[in-house]
Amino acid sequence: MREHLWPSSQSLGLSLPGTVSVPVEQDDALLVAASKNGDQDAFSLLVLRYQRRVFNLVFRMLQNYEEACEITQETFLAAWQGLPAFRGEARFTTWLYRIAYNCSLKQLDARKRDQALQVALQSEQKDEEPQSTQLARLDNQELVQEQLSQLPPKYRIVLILRHLQDMTYEEMAEVLTMPIGTIKTHLFRARNLLKERLQSFGYERKQKETRG
Amino acid sequence: MRCKEATYQLQLYIDRRLTLRQTRVLESHLASCPSCRAELCFLEEVSCGLSSLNSVPEPANLHEQIMQKVALSASRKNLVQPASFKLFRPSLAEILIAALLATLATLAILLQQPSIRTLLPKGNGHDPLSLLYTQVVHMLTSIDANTLILALWIVGTLLGVCITLAVAGSEMRTQWFKAMLERLPVR
Repeated sequence: MREHLWPSSQSLGLSLPGTVSVPVEQDDALLVAASKNGDQDAFSLLVLRYQRRVFNLVFRMLQNYEEACEITQETFLAAWQGLPAFRGEARFTTWLYRIAYNCSLKQLDARKRDQALQVALQSEQKDEEPQSTQLARLDNQELVQEQLSQLPPKYRIVLILRHLQDMTYEEMAEVLTMPIGTIKTHLFRARNLLKERLQSFGYERKQKETRG
Repeated sequence: MRCKEATYQLQLYIDRRLTLRQTRVLESHLASCPSCRAELCFLEEVSCGLSSLNSVPEPANLHEQIMQKVALSASRKNLVQPASFKLFRPSLAEILIAALLATLATLAILLQQPSIRTLLPKGNGHDPLSLLYTQVVHMLTSIDANTLILALWIVGTLLGVCITLAVAGSEMRTQWFKAMLERLPVR
């Protein structure tokens, strides 16, 4: 079940995405213009509108709730500070997702500094509990989530943008500043990698059992 | 169509990126190839699995925290930026004063040279201004060189301070005067 991403928009008198996309974009442009002139109320509406999407993107990249919260704040602060440089050539959301992605990558790089510690901790956990027991606990959704988080960031992001943010190839190319051909390749490899890992952990069998 | 090509196109098929012709060719291959059908089924399962991941609700106070940081950033910007601009925008009067003081300082530096001092025109009037000028010229030509350099150095320093204050702008001058007054031993 997919939770609706815009719970508070109706109460704010904002139009819903998907139903009337053009007015939302125009509305965004107006709010962005006002925010550029220092209108914090206008920026506050943009935050309300996109915080869940940005938070989810960051959360899926980092797989850590506290970090996702921090990086989401960092993303919006960077957007506020960078608004004077935003020329409106791309859509505001595209620009915002790009910032979120870059902030997430920065955070992942920072994590690498204490990677040795993490590896040590993981190996301890593995020693404590056999892998098969761990996987038995995971239902399909958790397994997908788990395996998604194990993919390299460049593959993880294309799956997140395509399947969790419902972006087209063109939108993904804009966010990641890559040619569409590269997006296709990354998506192809990412799905194949995920598919192989899920197969090796018996995802298919579980699916069939669920259906049966 | 070969299975290898079909496998590549399956993902584009799921994402609806194939042309009508490509779709027909692929579908006819799928109709006759059980392994590619199984591959498609599993890819669809994976895609569904990804799409069905629940949206994670953000913390209730996230918006508040973001806006607090934004407000803090905006107030810092207001404090720093306009002040830095004011410092480098002297008025016309301030620029003229600075130019005048700089000219005086340059003259003082030139007067350090004895050869230039001897070139000063001799005053021959009898009005108080001319008499004062004559006395100053006489003093400059007869004074000890070291004493003159020291005097000119002091005058030059004072002029330098005045030029800096003139160019710095009213805000910086006010701060400077306040700081000076605070440091005075007797108020």
